[in-house]
Amino acid sequence: MSITKLAAPLAIALAISFTLPIINHQYQTAYASETGNSQETELKHKIDTSKLSGVDYWIADMYNNDRVMYAVVVTLVMAVLGTSMAFLTDLVLKALGLEVSKISHRE
Amino acid sequence: MSFFNIHLPVAGIEFSALLLILIGFCVGVLGGFFGVGGGWMITPALNIFGFHMAFAIGTPLANIFGQSIGAVRKHHRMGNVDWKLGLISIISSVIGVEIGSRVIISMERAGDVGSIVRWCYVFLLAGLGMYMLYEYFVLHPKQLKLAEDIGEKAVGHTTDSSKISDKLRRLNVPPMIAFPASGIDGVSIWIILLVFLITGFLSGFMGVGGGFIILPVLVYLIGLPTTIAVGTSLVTVLFTSAYGCFTYSMKGRVELLAAFIMLIGASIGAQVGATAIKYIKGFGIRLLFAIMVIFASLSVLTEQFYKMAGKHIFQALAGIVLMGTALAMTALIIGRIVLEAKKERKA
Repeated sequence: MSITKLAAPLAIALAISFTLPIINHQYQTAYASETGNSQETELKHKIDTSKLSGVDYWIADMYNNDRVMYAVVVTLVMAVLGTSMAFLTDLVLKALGLEVSKISHRE
Repeated sequence: MSFFNIHLPVAGIEFSALLLILIGFCVGVLGGFFGVGGGWMITPALNIFGFHMAFAIGTPLANIFGQSIGAVRKHHRMGNVDWKLGLISIISSVIGVEIGSRVIISMERAGDVGSIVRWCYVFLLAGLGMYMLYEYFVLHPKQLKLAEDIGEKAVGHTTDSSKISDKLRRLNVPPMIAFPASGIDGVSIWIILLVFLITGFLSGFMGVGGGFIILPVLVYLIGLPTTIAVGTSLVTVLFTSAYGCFTYSMKGRVELLAAFIMLIGASIGAQVGATAIKYIKGFGIRLLFAIMVIFASLSVLTEQFYKMAGKHIFQALAGIVLMGTALAMTALIIGRIVLEAKKERKA
């Protein structure tokens, strides 16, 4: 299937995946303030950064001060690491003789 | 083991990096092989080893998102992904998830619903597993015998499963849509949307990713070959976990460093699991899936006993059943792939 045919459903899927959390966040915050139930909502705790340094400090500081940025960074890091590791593992599996190609869909 | 311990700044605990990689690897293998996310395994595993529940639910979603990218890519190369169906399924799945999660939130206002959710989980998983075992040991041999008798090659679907998906396909409610990658000439788009709305609802209601519901739905209700169902299910898992990763991170429930380390093992595992699909026939995948979901339901049942009786032995047993099943399945898949690798090297 060509990428142009996929563009519209892909755009809708991406839009749903990344805009619905923001709408949902508003709904659940309102629900929590109404009921006092915070199980499904934001964790309010702050990390003590006084003993942290380097990457740990950067993560904790972002977590404390900008949750949207934290969410963007987590999602991007996972996407980049997932793609890179998949690429590297593929090379190793190929070297081991476990290359894949189109398979027959036998039951 | 303390040599491998690292400080996780967000969760505020010390945790073994080696254990994170191992958990990730197991989940990756199962995810790549069965087309599931594996949150049902990571969440209790992390919780058992000391993660606070608030992070044990959110962190796996970030990991599943990362591992699914590689697994989808690999299944795509093997021709196992029906993109059109996968992307359409996401639209109604996500709406279903939202409805399901709001129903559960509304029910929470009336009291504790954990017990209801656990019973739903037990019956759904056990029912699916039992049906798949029945199909493997009773219906499939019957069909093979019938095919032998009439001198035709078995086409792969049992009589019963064909009937369900064929009946659904015969419902002529326009607009009709074709899925050539799955060999489906025409089916009402409303059937597809409704089916995924229901699976999404169940995911949202039970608080799970839904891969273990989507795989049998694609096979039995839509009529996809098992390997295409695995790849297509992963597309749905990819997008729903992307959604989960983002939304749980915004709520501060994802431990980035733990997810990062776990993903190293998970990405490798997902590639291995996806590769193993090449060596196991569709019915073999269904048999292993059936065994896995039956043990998963046993684990939830044991957890329910713990909630009812308050005896910690049940809680420990639930964790052991779950981890034992995951480890055994991973070992089985790895064993098979090692055997095949040896064969291919000799050839």
